[in-house]
Amino acid sequence: MAGLPLDVLDLTVTGAGGRVLLQPASFKVKAGEAIGIRGPSGAGKSTLLYALAGLQPKVGGTIDWGGQDLARFSDAERARFRRQHVGMVFQDFLLFEELTALGNAALTAAFAPRQEIAPIRSRATALLERLGVSRSRRNVDSFSGGERQRVAIARALANDPDIILADEPTASLDRAAADRLIGDLTDLARKEGKTLIAVSHDRHLLDRMDRCLEVADGKLLEPSHA
Amino acid sequence: MPELLLDYWQDLAPATQDAVILVLLLLPAILTGLFVTAGYRPLALVRSLLWRYRWTNLMFVALIAVSVGLGVGLTAQERGLRQGTARAAEKFDLIVSAPGSEITMMFAAVYLQPSDVPLLDGAAYDKIATAENVELAAPIAFGDSFEGSPVVGTTPQFVEHLTGALTEGQMFARPGEAIAGAAVDLAIGAEFTPAHGSGEGADHEAHAGATTRIVGKMAATGSPWDKAILVPVEAVWEVHGLANGHAPERADQIGPPFDPDYFPGTPAVLVRAEALWANYALKSEFTTDKTMAFFPGAVLSRLHSLMGDIRQVMSLMAVVTQVLVTAGVLTGLVVLVRLFSRRLALLRALGAPRRFVFAVVWSYASVLIAAGALLGLAAGFAASGIISAEISRRTDILVEASLSWPEFHLIAGFVSLTVFLALLPALLSLNRPVIPDLRS
Repeated sequence: MAGLPLDVLDLTVTGAGGRVLLQPASFKVKAGEAIGIRGPSGAGKSTLLYALAGLQPKVGGTIDWGGQDLARFSDAERARFRRQHVGMVFQDFLLFEELTALGNAALTAAFAPRQEIAPIRSRATALLERLGVSRSRRNVDSFSGGERQRVAIARALANDPDIILADEPTASLDRAAADRLIGDLTDLARKEGKTLIAVSHDRHLLDRMDRCLEVADGKLLEPSHA
Repeated sequence: MPELLLDYWQDLAPATQDAVILVLLLLPAILTGLFVTAGYRPLALVRSLLWRYRWTNLMFVALIAVSVGLGVGLTAQERGLRQGTARAAEKFDLIVSAPGSEITMMFAAVYLQPSDVPLLDGAAYDKIATAENVELAAPIAFGDSFEGSPVVGTTPQFVEHLTGALTEGQMFARPGEAIAGAAVDLAIGAEFTPAHGSGEGADHEAHAGATTRIVGKMAATGSPWDKAILVPVEAVWEVHGLANGHAPERADQIGPPFDPDYFPGTPAVLVRAEALWANYALKSEFTTDKTMAFFPGAVLSRLHSLMGDIRQVMSLMAVVTQVLVTAGVLTGLVVLVRLFSRRLALLRALGAPRRFVFAVVWSYASVLIAAGALLGLAAGFAASGIISAEISRRTDILVEASLSWPEFHLIAGFVSLTVFLALLPALLSLNRPVIPDLRS
């Protein structure tokens, strides 16, 4: 699938007790564009990312992904949207240690409709090969951090999403592994035309993005329209 | 329609009825499982969670197994004991003795438990032996022993009635010869001197000189008689310095008929009638102020009924234990689900429907419950086997532990109830917030 464009308008996120986590933010992202989100710790970067994934429960405004406003969706509709359109990568991989690399990469097959199971498994296998994970039938508990994150990238892309959302994908890796990860992630996203949004402190990663948004104190400082 | 169904049900073989009940008891669990997991494949993730928290899971399984094993063991043990005692008594159609306690006499005459009981005299015996329809009237004279084995005086006809053909040797034919029970550690040709009395109070010198030789071995009966040594009743009387039951001109005779004038007395007489109905007539005839007649089977049945009441109380306690353990396990599962809440949040983040997450948690809980129940079944059976062996060793009554339909029904009911209740922790897991769990 090709990437989806994003149009965010007056997006607000509130937390427990009505505390404002993200003040009204508006920006646009073109389909297939790679966007970095930077800012100090606790600024609201991940809050914004999770809002774009439809994981934040209390959001206001519009999160329009290619004509589908996530902010209006029910919980089940958001889950379906994520399943069909979004691949996520997390800081500390979040793999099932007792599953094989392939089992983790094809994790979404466990709850996908029957006709999607084979394509997900086949794509997961191809992605692991492409990312150089040779021990796809081994449990990931013996894998290095770099290998684990590559498995996590394969998992994010196995259901052929339009959007990749990455939350500090290099934070748990050493420099060499992080650089390889950055190459893998951005190359795959670009080649397949995915819309990539990555929250990171890593300058090497942010430098590879088409542009960056900055968040501080729950505010989007540099709303940028391409 | 209900009558038609009832007729159809009653026409089914008991095993088929039990199998149908088992399926019906399991049906709620099966239907719940099919409904919860329909369209999803949660087992790989469940395996992963089971392995990840294997020690905690093992503890849960062990807890369930103990509570289930208690119920299974209790049911199987009670049945084994009931069947074992009934089997040991089945050759004793009707016992006639001097008036007293039926239970005491049953334990003494059927299960060979040492007891002081009054004797029936020769006139009473003669009346029994010559009554209409009596096929067998065998005196059972106990009171002596050898190294823990009761030495019982009786007739060759009783030995044949009790055990059928001998497995080795021949029937005793004179005083000084004996038949050993299957579990007696005396070979053919071995000699012994019986002691007067039994246990620690036995007088080993009282019958000095009354050397007795084993000439035959009985087949196993699964009763305390396997541990007994059977001798001619005439020998018992003779070693006690009494007449031997026969007039002097027939002093060498072994077995009936006995002469009432030379009959010293016997604690009990086993009576077997030619027909079943005749036993009832004989019981009535010999229930007098001088004799007591009773069916050991009926006395045993009353005892079993009492045991049944105790079993019901204990079963209730076992069920209460199971309910408490189940409540504990379900509460524990709610806590345990928090351990892998991050993984569940990941699934939600990847777009898993809530129902899939629900299916994972429920399947996980159900696997623990089913494993605990199966392990409990095995543990209960094993414990029952060990206890049965110990009871058999102590009482010489063959108690055999076996699993039967009631145990399977118990397990099926337990599994169905608890997997249904496991919907609760699964439901609670859905209320967990995704983002805090992802970041935890």
